[in-house]
Amino acid sequence: MTEQLRESLSALMDDEATELELHRVLGELEHNAELRQTWVRYQVARSVMAGQPVGHAGLDISRSVSAALAAEAGAGEPRSGLRERWLRPLASLAVAASVTAVVVLGGQQLYQAGSPDAASTPVAASGVSAVGFVNSLGAVPMRASYGAQAVPQLEPAARTAYRELARQRMYQYMQEHAEHAALNSPQGLIPFARVPQIEE
Amino acid sequence: MKCLNWLLASSLVCGLLLGASSAAAQRAACSEVDTEALDWLARMARSHSEVAYHGVVTLQRGDDMQVVQVARSLADGYSSEHLTRLTGQGAQVIRSHHPLNCTHPGERLLNLGDRVDPGDCGLAGYYRFQLSPGERIAGRQSVKLEIQPRDMYRYGFLLELDKETALMLRASTLGRGDKVLERFQFADLSYGEPLEPRQGMETIHPASHPHPDYPAAGARLTVPWTVSWLPGGFTATDTVDPAGPRRTYTDGLAVFSVFLEQLPRELRPGEGLARLGSSLSYTRGMHLADQPVLVTVIGEVPVNTARMVADSIRVAR
Repeated sequence: MTEQLRESLSALMDDEATELELHRVLGELEHNAELRQTWVRYQVARSVMAGQPVGHAGLDISRSVSAALAAEAGAGEPRSGLRERWLRPLASLAVAASVTAVVVLGGQQLYQAGSPDAASTPVAASGVSAVGFVNSLGAVPMRASYGAQAVPQLEPAARTAYRELARQRMYQYMQEHAEHAALNSPQGLIPFARVPQIEE
Repeated sequence: MKCLNWLLASSLVCGLLLGASSAAAQRAACSEVDTEALDWLARMARSHSEVAYHGVVTLQRGDDMQVVQVARSLADGYSSEHLTRLTGQGAQVIRSHHPLNCTHPGERLLNLGDRVDPGDCGLAGYYRFQLSPGERIAGRQSVKLEIQPRDMYRYGFLLELDKETALMLRASTLGRGDKVLERFQFADLSYGEPLEPRQGMETIHPASHPHPDYPAAGARLTVPWTVSWLPGGFTATDTVDPAGPRRTYTDGLAVFSVFLEQLPRELRPGEGLARLGSSLSYTRGMHLADQPVLVTVIGEVPVNTARMVADSIRVAR
């Protein structure tokens, strides 16, 4: 996959893609398995962050979205007035949003049931630590199935848990990051002022 | 003793890296580059080893404002720095005896004259620079250096440098729509006379000094890993240990670190985000060599960058 495509895909995820990029990604999605996989990974990850359930969806998103775009483009051809110029990007965004709402799920197993030792995972540890997993991801997942594939439903708890993980990791790692940032950015020791709690 | 070994090694290694090359010829190859702006950038980077000062700095991040005292002194080819928190936690960070001839990758990236590869515009390939007269900051006249990213993988900056010494007097990190995410600013500044570190702090931390050429000792993972995609212009700040839990990358202005943890049990794949000012913590639960891992990107970059970097992590061959 080219870097440009990956960029476009990422931009699309953050609603920053131009219409041109949207078209390019859609064109490529149809016959690029790697791009589809990347899309799925981004999408699954993002859905958790946004608190959306990851359900199963139609496998042929690119075709339906391309059709929607074509219909949109054909409709207002002769007009290029102010209103048209304003509306078009909005329409594209709406299409992009519908694209991101519709996910092609590959053969990935999204979730493995929590192991029985979850509750006994030690909280205070450095290096390979399990801080943040205790109680936060303990909810029992619901599984739905579609055809031969088991498709999990991610409940909103996962979103909160991941946000909490990110917050904890900021505490845990900011000082180590600052040690390197202080030597490699132009503000001297200032990166240490970003560390929530400086440890000796 | 360890420190002494490091100093001996660093004076050799770092000395070699300071090769002089023709800055003018280099820049001629890169069009639409404001060479005067780049000169200021290089001067700012050098000011670290040329200017002794002490002062009070404010660091504003959203609603949060911190006040810190900073000082740098120079003597016998070494610099010493300290930072003391005047608000919140009573903590002090000290870096003493840093050899002046030892430069780290971040500083070298700001010195475009150091580049040897023709056609590589360095930092100017990733940011647009514009210079204009600045206002008075901490009683000093400044020049204003506007730095806009050319892609979406880094933030913009507004740097205001001392017109005489090129010391950074104010730095604003700008997000989308030029929103100020973080602002660092000298409130008071004096040049010259050294200042003894403030006494009576509860926590005194000697800043570590990772050697750029030797991997750090510490915990190692059983799965060696590699980051297979980086935004343009970013380079590792120190030697990458494939089994080490951390990588740090810089483009000269922005820095981010990637941490990998092997998890004791399965974790639902997903991502989470926490922000404070320009700092980001992005976590991602995923699999590497069929093992559950948690990737965390910490740094002063947009979430977009963090997500793509996390997505590019592979098993090292």
